[in-house]
Amino acid sequence: MGFSAPDIALPKAEPGQFFMFGVKNCEKDPLLKRPFCYFRRRGNTLEILYRVVGKMTSIMKGLRPGDEVEVLGPLGNVYPMAQAVCKTPLVIAGGVGIASVYPLIERFKGSAILFYGGRSKKEILLRKELRAISKKLVVATDDGSMGFKGTAVDAARDFLNGRNPDDFVLYSCGPNGMLKAASALGIQGYIASEEKMACGIGVCLGCAVKTKEGYKRACKDGPVFKTGEIIFD
Amino acid sequence: MPARENNNNKRLEVKLGRLKLKNPVMTASGTAGYGAELAEFFDLSKLGAIVLKGISLTPWQGNPTPRITETRCGMINSIGLQNVGLDAFLREKLPFVRQWDVPVIANILGTSAAEYTRLASALEEAGVDGIELNVSCPNVKEGGIAFGLDLKSFASLVRAVRARVKKPVLIVKLSPGAPGIEEFSRAAEGEGADAISLINTIPAMAIDVNTRRPLIKNRIGGLSGPAIKPIAVRMVYQASKAVKIPVIGMGGITTGEDAVEFMLAGATAVAVGTATFMDPMAVLKVVQGIGAWMERHGIKKASSITGAMLT
Ligand SMILES: Cc1cc2nc3c(=O)[nH]c(=O)nc-3n(C[C@H](O)[C@H](O)[C@H](O)COP(=O)(O)OP(=O)(O)OC[C@H]3O[C@@H](n4cnc5c(N)ncnc54)[C@H](O)[C@@H]3O)c2cc1C
Ligand code: FES
Repeated sequence: MGFSAPDIALPKAEPGQFFMFGVKNCEKDPLLKRPFCYFRRRGNTLEILYRVVGKMTSIMKGLRPGDEVEVLGPLGNVYPMAQAVCKTPLVIAGGVGIASVYPLIERFKGSAILFYGGRSKKEILLRKELRAISKKLVVATDDGSMGFKGTAVDAARDFLNGRNPDDFVLYSCGPNGMLKAASALGIQGYIASEEKMACGIGVCLGCAVKTKEGYKRACKDGPVFKTGEIIFD
Repeated sequence: MPARENNNNKRLEVKLGRLKLKNPVMTASGTAGYGAELAEFFDLSKLGAIVLKGISLTPWQGNPTPRITETRCGMINSIGLQNVGLDAFLREKLPFVRQWDVPVIANILGTSAAEYTRLASALEEAGVDGIELNVSCPNVKEGGIAFGLDLKSFASLVRAVRARVKKPVLIVKLSPGAPGIEEFSRAAEGEGADAISLINTIPAMAIDVNTRRPLIKNRIGGLSGPAIKPIAVRMVYQASKAVKIPVIGMGGITTGEDAVEFMLAGATAVAVGTATFMDPMAVLKVVQGIGAWMERHGIKKASSITGAMLT
C-alpha cells in the first residue's frame, strides 16, 4: 500500500527519518498525528508505506487524490551510512519496518543484503522492487508461506554461520522483539525504534526508549540508535 | 507595520500580579520541554510566557512505556515527571530559554516542603520570572499530589514557598481532584500566591479489549485534550469566583475560541498543552485566534474578556 502527498516545500528527507501525518478534522478525533517513515520520493511526491491498523490508518485508506492532509517533518535522526563503505550492509526488516529501510537500501545501490520478515506471504510487500535494489533478498515468514520458515533474524543467523560478523554493519527496523533479537546477532550497527509517539518533536516524552544512559526520546534522539544502546525488557 | 504590531501587542497584554505578559497565552508545563524544541518552530518571544517542564531537585527517570495512549478527543499520559533535575536545568536548560524576550516560568515538584523551598530559592536566584508549584501531578506518588489533595498541607506548602520567593510571581497549580476547588483556591490566595493555574490532567484509564491489557504501562495516567475542556472551564469559573488573584486556565485548549471561553469563565491567561502535541505551532495559533475573535467582537483589550461571560 503506497501513499503519496504533494511535496510543496520539497523537504529533503533522509533514510531513517519520519513524518507526523494527520488529517484535518474539527472533531479532534483522531487527535494526534501519527508517525510514518520516510519511504521514498518519486518526482514531486513523498511516499509513505503504511498498514491499516486503526483509526488514522483507516481514514488514510479512504483518502483520495486531492484530499488535504497535514504533514510535519522530516523528523528524527538518520541511519549513519559511513561504515557501509568498507562493510556489507546487512538489513533486517519486519512488517512495515520495511518502509524505514527501503530508502537506505536504495542508497546502498545494490550492496545491501536484506532479510525481510512477516507473519505470512500476505505481509511481504514490494518483493520485486526490493530484489532489484538489493544485492540479496531473503524473505522469511512465520508460517512458511513464503521463503524461509521462521523470523528474519533466524534467517540472518543462518546466513552468518561461518561468516565474520565484523564484515557486516547491521541496519534493522521492526517490532521490538525483532530489534532485540537482531541486536543479539553480534553485528555492530543501527536499529530504528517504532515506539508510540504523541508529538514527534521531543516535547511530550511519551516515546521513551530505555537506553544505557537512561530514557531517550525515539522521536528526537532517535528513531535510529546504535546496537547495544537500547535496553530491551 | 511595526506600529500596528505594537498596537496589537498592547491589545493583547495581560498581567499576572507584577508580571506583564504580551498576550494571555503560555505553554502548559510538560508540553514545551525546556523551550529548545519549540524554538525550532517559532520565535519564543511571541508567547505570553513559557512554562517549562517540571523540575525536581535530583533527576527523575520517569515511568516505563507505553506512556501515552490516545482516547476519544483526548490522550492519557503517564510520563512520570521525567526531568533532568535542578543542577542540569540551571546549567544547560535555563540559559538557552533566557535568550528570548519572554517571561520564563519554572514548574517545580518535590516530595517535601523542604524540597519545594530549596528549588524555589535556587530558581529565584537564577532569575526566573515565575515559579509554578506543581502539587497536582497524578502520575507519581511523590509528585506532590498529597499536597494537592489535603488542604492543610497544601496551605502550609504554599506558605513555606511564599516565604522564600520574593521576586518571581508564585503560581500554584491546583489538582482537579482537590476536594473543593474554591477552598483550595482561597487557601492559595490566603497564603500569598500571586496566581493559580488549573486544571492539571484528570486521572484516567483505558484498556485494549483485544489484548485485555491496559493501554499505558502504569495503568492509570492523566487525561488531557479537548475531552476535558468543559470540566476545566467549570473549575476555572469556580476558582475565579472564589479569589481575586488571576487564574490561568487550561485543559483542552486548541483554538483561540477555546481560550476566549476560559477567559469568559474568569481566566486572566490561558495555557496550551496537548494542542502542541497535535501541532507545534498551536500556541501561536491560539494567540492569533484570540486576536481575531477580539476583532470580530470589537473588543479592544484582552484583559476585558476576563470574567465577561453574560448571564
Ligand atoms: C517512527 C515511527 C515510524 C513508523 N513508520 C511506519 C510506517 O512507515 N508505516 C506504517 O504502517 N506504520 C508505521 N509506524 C506505526 C504507525 O505509526 C502506527 O501504525 C499508526 O500510528 C497507527 O495509527 P492508527 O490511528 O491507525 O492506529 P490506532 O487506532 O492508534 O491504534 C491501532 C493499533 O495499532 C497499534 N499501534 C499504534 N501505534 C503504534 C506504533 N507506533 N507501533 C506499533 N503499533 C502501534 C496500537 O497499539 C493499536 O493496537 C511508525 C511508527 C513510528 C513510531
Ligand atoms: S513523541 Fe513526544 S517526545 Fe517523542
